[in-house]
Amino acid sequence: MSALAELIAHRDLIRELVVRALKVRYRRSAIGFLWTMLHPLIMMLVLSLVFSQVFRFQVPNYALYALSGIVFWQFFSQTVTSCLHSLKGNARLLSKLPIPKAVFPIATVLSGLLNLGFALVPLLGIAIVTGHAPTASIVFLPVGILLVGLMALGAGLLLAPLSVIFSDTIEVVAIVLGLLMYLTPVFYPRSIVPEQLRWAVRLNPMAAALEVFRAPIVDHTMPATADLAVATAAALVLLAVGGWFFAVSSRRLALYL
Amino acid sequence: MRADADLIRLENVSMKYRLARQRQPSFKEYALHWVRGALVYEDLWALSDVSLRIGSGESIGIIGRNGAGKSTLLKLISRVLTPTAGRVEVHGRVVPVLDLGAGLDPELSGRENIFLNAMFLGRTRAEVAAACDSIVAASGLDEFIDSPLRNYSAGMSARLAFSVATAWVPDVLILDEVLAVGDAGFVAKCHQRLQEFRDQGTTVLIVSHSTNEIQASCRRAIWVDGGRVRADGPTEEVMAEYAAFVATRHAAIGAPDRTP
Repeated sequence: MSALAELIAHRDLIRELVVRALKVRYRRSAIGFLWTMLHPLIMMLVLSLVFSQVFRFQVPNYALYALSGIVFWQFFSQTVTSCLHSLKGNARLLSKLPIPKAVFPIATVLSGLLNLGFALVPLLGIAIVTGHAPTASIVFLPVGILLVGLMALGAGLLLAPLSVIFSDTIEVVAIVLGLLMYLTPVFYPRSIVPEQLRWAVRLNPMAAALEVFRAPIVDHTMPATADLAVATAAALVLLAVGGWFFAVSSRRLALYL
Repeated sequence: MRADADLIRLENVSMKYRLARQRQPSFKEYALHWVRGALVYEDLWALSDVSLRIGSGESIGIIGRNGAGKSTLLKLISRVLTPTAGRVEVHGRVVPVLDLGAGLDPELSGRENIFLNAMFLGRTRAEVAAACDSIVAASGLDEFIDSPLRNYSAGMSARLAFSVATAWVPDVLILDEVLAVGDAGFVAKCHQRLQEFRDQGTTVLIVSHSTNEIQASCRRAIWVDGGRVRADGPTEEVMAEYAAFVATRHAAIGAPDRTP
């Protein structure tokens, strides 16, 4: 509880770290935050070409389907990866000043969410251009964003101290994230998964969270209850495990930094 | 609640660093060594059974050889480290200045760094905004304050960081060999600022290898060697003891720096 109070006392610092992350990322680049919008769009074009022309997936509005998957997955994988480096990258500071260490992963997730917000602009743009303009169901979009944000925070809190203790964590996480992406219907339709393997996708919390995120944008519906339940449970478990591990390890971390 | 006038109290404090004899920076090596029951660690006691009481408004010089445990002592008082055994009690606001460059970001401007660094020290945005102009003035860097820090010289960065760290009067100020940087004018300014702090009752802890600096500014000195307090008392006496010790060891090569 005192750790939480300490974080609240440092809320201005967290905000400053978020602002710094955005400034440093965009200040020295010519087109700045347009990159955040351009990158998923280019991926969407490539995927649309490959999958709807070559493999002929039967998905209505594949471009929108793929783009929503890409935006979602890029947020999750980039945020988890940045969290991994967030303590190591601030090692000098953390070994000299008594700063609550959790401010770094928290600020990383918040700046990731802001970038996700930028990426929603082309996403909603494509939705409108392709005749899938958002309907009233769009009010459920924040639910999916909140869930994937909590998942990224939980994973980040778990993995950031682990990567300080074992430097291999970074390699292992890169592989796991790669595998997880193929287990999640980011760019293929759920329906192509063979019936006997569908349970794997159904139990994958990332797949559930992606469906929650996608429902209001692509299907114009409210997220399915089953997906909501799996994603919420996964987010809470990850957050609890990550928060617990971060708390027990952070006292010793100064010795490894 | 404070029971007496002690601002800092260390009771039987020990600090152990565990140095793995085989470094196992990977899961594989860790698992292999764990399975073989061969996880052997070498314990390094950076501090053993240190007890200290420091009162409000004292100025204390901490001396000793490299690797004696001085920095570990300061990190414990700063709450960067928690002791392996014993109790560390510190009342009031502590500003540790253990490394002047630690919080600076080369991509941000001088002004942005003022905000970020002050917040690393626990200040709120409103507090920094109110003090910003006087910090800029104290650093003497007005013309460069909106340029990115990567264009600053090392001395300029140090001036900026010192000005932020000393912008507010803390209860305890901790300085680890940081006054050696900067030109003569800046060093004089630093000493003037330290004097203002002392006049306002700040407790100042200084680690320095400069005998002059400690003699000039500290009434009390603590000599740390091999993780233990060898002497604690009036600066003149402790310095004389330390000087005698160094003289007898003159032929021997100093112990390697053991602080990780």
